[in-house]
Amino acid sequence: MILDLHLHSELSDDSRAPVEAYLKVLQRKRAERPLDGIVLTEHRQFDPARDYRALEDRYGFLILNAAEVETDYGHVLVYGVNPDILARFDFSDVRLSAQALVTDVARLGGIALPCHPGRATVGLCDHYARKPPLEGVVAVEALNGGSKKGEDARVEELVQRFGYKAYGGSDSHLVSFVGVCATEFDAPIRSMDDLVAQLRDGRYRPVDFRAR
Amino acid sequence: MPLALDPAIIGREFDRTVEGPVTADELVAFARALGETRPEYTEAGPALVAHPTYCVRFRGGRFYPEELLKLIDVRSGFDAGKDIQLGAPVRPGDTIEVRSTVHEVYEKTGRTGSMVFVVIRYTLSNQRGEMLAIVDNRFMHR
Repeated sequence: MILDLHLHSELSDDSRAPVEAYLKVLQRKRAERPLDGIVLTEHRQFDPARDYRALEDRYGFLILNAAEVETDYGHVLVYGVNPDILARFDFSDVRLSAQALVTDVARLGGIALPCHPGRATVGLCDHYARKPPLEGVVAVEALNGGSKKGEDARVEELVQRFGYKAYGGSDSHLVSFVGVCATEFDAPIRSMDDLVAQLRDGRYRPVDFRAR
Repeated sequence: MPLALDPAIIGREFDRTVEGPVTADELVAFARALGETRPEYTEAGPALVAHPTYCVRFRGGRFYPEELLKLIDVRSGFDAGKDIQLGAPVRPGDTIEVRSTVHEVYEKTGRTGSMVFVVIRYTLSNQRGEMLAIVDNRFMHR
């Protein structure tokens, strides 16, 4: 099961990509990017009313909703967002406490995973150089489709040193970039509950579909 | 420090300016400057209308309301894009009323640090009260 765990649609302020256009690209490029689904991670927001079931039925891809939020340790993807998590955190706040997010999202049934940790200034690597490591981090995004040269390489040390699991995502803001990086899971995933359970305890790895 | 923005500022009109009347010559010049060749945009006559992007030249009389100028360092920044909803076409002789409101103010953090985005909504209408365009102009400051 291969999912792109990190991408943005036109609901994010810096993307103009319609969700359906992503699916059309994945359908057309199935041979080079064999994905089974996508997880939308809109910036600083989560709308529980979003429903992509009609698109799932039409295109045959799993479509799940998550969020990318901003913290004192950089950007973090939150999976399994529910009313309790939304009541606990204001996702529009760009100064969320990463430790509180990781701890409380897990307590409330979700999982919060740092993304693009190798990125200068906002990445976990730079924050760890200045501050104590976070407790309770399960995995970090070791492959990010938007990374500059060398940024993903910095994450390898983080993974080795702290024993984090590694996942991948395209971080696509443009239609054509969907699925260039993704995560391969050993177990099937049919829902957000499945995804959260697998991210916590399952076996998975980042996969790179970029042209060499 | 979090942005100490009074939420009451959002959606409040802070400027209303009337410009025009628009001339055929300026509509033709604008379209030709874009490289446009279609006659409805480049040939004076009864069928002439403004090129759709003509609406972005209107900015009202004030760029930002006073409250924002006190809150954000606007000495540096750049245009971060526009969303345009088009209405009736602009025609020669139209006067353009531009109403300016603060549509959105938000912060985000990127590779280069924290940024503040301000979205000013310009609602353009003509002398007949027809909506010509709604332009959401996004500007970034740090």
